[in-house]
Amino acid sequence: MRRLLPSLLIFLIIINCAKADRDKKDVVTIIFKHGKIAGDPEPFRQLLERFEKENPGIKIKDETLPASTDEQHQFYVINLEGKSSDFDVLSMDVIWVPEFARAGWLRDLSHLLSEKERDEFFEGPMQAVSYKGRVYAIPWYIDAGVLYYRKDLLQKYGFKPPETWQELVKIAQHIISREKRLYGFIWQGKQYEGLVCNALEYFWSNGGDILKDGKVVIDSPENIEALSFMRDLIAKYKITPPLVTTATEEPTRHIFGSGRAVFMRNWPYAWNIFEKDGSPVKGKVGVAPMPSFPKGRSASTLGGWQLGINRYSRHPEAAERFVKFLTSGEAQKTLALTIGYKPTRKSLYKDRDLIEKQPFIVGLYEVFLNARPRPVSPYYMMMSQVLQPELSAAIAGIKTPDEALKSARRHIDHILEAEK
Amino acid sequence: MKEPESGNRFVVPALLLLSLVTVYPLIYVFYLSLQRRLLIFDISRFVGLDNYIFLLRDDRFWNAMKNTAYFTVVSVSLELLFGLSIALLLNRQFRFRGLVRAIVLIPWAIPTVVSARMWEWIYNTDFGILNYLLGTEINWLGSPSWAMNAAIFMDVWKTTPFVAILLTAGLQIIPRDLYQAAMIDGAGSWAVFRKITLPLLKPVILVVLIFRTLDAFRVFDAVYVLTGGGPANTTETLSIYAYKVLFQTLQFGYGSTLSVIVFLCTGGISLFYVKLLSRGMK
Repeated sequence: MRRLLPSLLIFLIIINCAKADRDKKDVVTIIFKHGKIAGDPEPFRQLLERFEKENPGIKIKDETLPASTDEQHQFYVINLEGKSSDFDVLSMDVIWVPEFARAGWLRDLSHLLSEKERDEFFEGPMQAVSYKGRVYAIPWYIDAGVLYYRKDLLQKYGFKPPETWQELVKIAQHIISREKRLYGFIWQGKQYEGLVCNALEYFWSNGGDILKDGKVVIDSPENIEALSFMRDLIAKYKITPPLVTTATEEPTRHIFGSGRAVFMRNWPYAWNIFEKDGSPVKGKVGVAPMPSFPKGRSASTLGGWQLGINRYSRHPEAAERFVKFLTSGEAQKTLALTIGYKPTRKSLYKDRDLIEKQPFIVGLYEVFLNARPRPVSPYYMMMSQVLQPELSAAIAGIKTPDEALKSARRHIDHILEAEK
Repeated sequence: MKEPESGNRFVVPALLLLSLVTVYPLIYVFYLSLQRRLLIFDISRFVGLDNYIFLLRDDRFWNAMKNTAYFTVVSVSLELLFGLSIALLLNRQFRFRGLVRAIVLIPWAIPTVVSARMWEWIYNTDFGILNYLLGTEINWLGSPSWAMNAAIFMDVWKTTPFVAILLTAGLQIIPRDLYQAAMIDGAGSWAVFRKITLPLLKPVILVVLIFRTLDAFRVFDAVYVLTGGGPANTTETLSIYAYKVLFQTLQFGYGSTLSVIVFLCTGGISLFYVKLLSRGMK
């Protein structure tokens, strides 16, 4: 017996190992690539755990991508062009879907959303995830440019939030000439994608665009006028400090958040941070739609993230279930309540819990409804890459807006010739 | 007669290997440069010299060319100047000479990407030590007039040691008796430097210049990490432009055209130096 016991034990261990191994084979692991989760990652983790509990047999492994979206884009392009199946579900910036779809890297998800269900989403993101009539991703959360203003300062000097750019200039000049250490208006002017988002809001609100009916109209008089105005904010009206030419979202958010600016253009994420306890601007911040020129109407650039499935994924069905789960109304509501991700489903903006916890979401509804996607084209990323340095040069005063946009046009024409 | 023939035979494997790893890619890049090629969309079309014609009218290319030339000329001249001064100092006898030589090498020993990140913080407008020491609030990497000079300064800091060490080695080959003879003849130190040190150091200086000029002309990592080519492309060098076209916008045709131009320029520079060097040897 004494000899038998150890061998029996070993036997049992072997059997158990084999069993565990077999169990493992039935479990499918879905790898989910996404950017860094803003704020506390715990609620997001709990959401993934809930999915695993509801779907025994599917495990989710989430992997964080590099911080800059350009690097994320490059990661996807290199891996997907190499037909990598190392990840199943990918979160994509709103501007990538047509490109990835055209390259054949995304699974067609049209069957996941009925016509009726598509109407439940905001129109902008729905346009952005469609390519040639098919749906290649599902909108996960939404973003759009908004104008932050200092309620207290505007009240003190008897102003209403500006509706036109000229009003904004007038108010900012009035206030900064009477208050100390205050910038008038800050925005994102570094040479990167965010600059294109900023510039488009001026172009659109002056009736301009990059493409119109498939034609390149980047050097239109409307755009030149709008870009000149951006330069004038710094050089002529002096309400924007030159530091914006190197600023991304966070530096501008810090400046405004420490109470050193009257106006700021940014994405809605900043609101929750301003309203935290201990914030110097708590209760003093208002949000309005972007101003416009007399000729045009207010326009916000659409941002946000979408979930798609790698065409080379080995477990597309499980991946589909996961995408459906994360984009469901319930999951979107959880993420909105906990980390402030703005839902892509319109009905959630009437949700009582959400309105109670984030009253500011009601005002955003109109903004999201009117948010415009950047040109929905497989060539958008290439166009943006040539546009960024030109816009940057114009804002820094190295090139005239006319020169910059003419040069951008030559490059964009050259890129689009590929399609002929 | 026999010996050279067998010699040729021995060279064949090396030649084959070289053509495999350098000549073939070169020809392939040239072939790509005649195409409109977008890999991800399966587009590839022969367009002849179309890319080259576009390049001539591409002001971003000329801007990159200008930036590269400026970077190369300024950084290499400064490195030579400082490197030579340090080499002359290191060539003297003094205590702890070995230790000082080792310390001088440190900037060269740090990987470029690491030192670029380090300098990014040194140059930081709000928290950087440079503004703190100078008592200024200059946006070194963000202002179009400063960014390129800031990048050059970092490169000079990093590569001067390399130049200094090579030149020190060169100085030590110069026979001592020449200096003694000059001293007996009553030559001043400037005359000694001009008539003895400089001419005898010339071959080493030329080798240093070849290395440095080619490296500076192809500069990528230091500037890319420091500024990414911004602000407003004032620090975009040819290599950065080619990289962006190739790997960010994935236009393999036009990107290859830019690479061919970089190759032609560096080829021209090396030919020029090799000519100069062979004349110097005679």
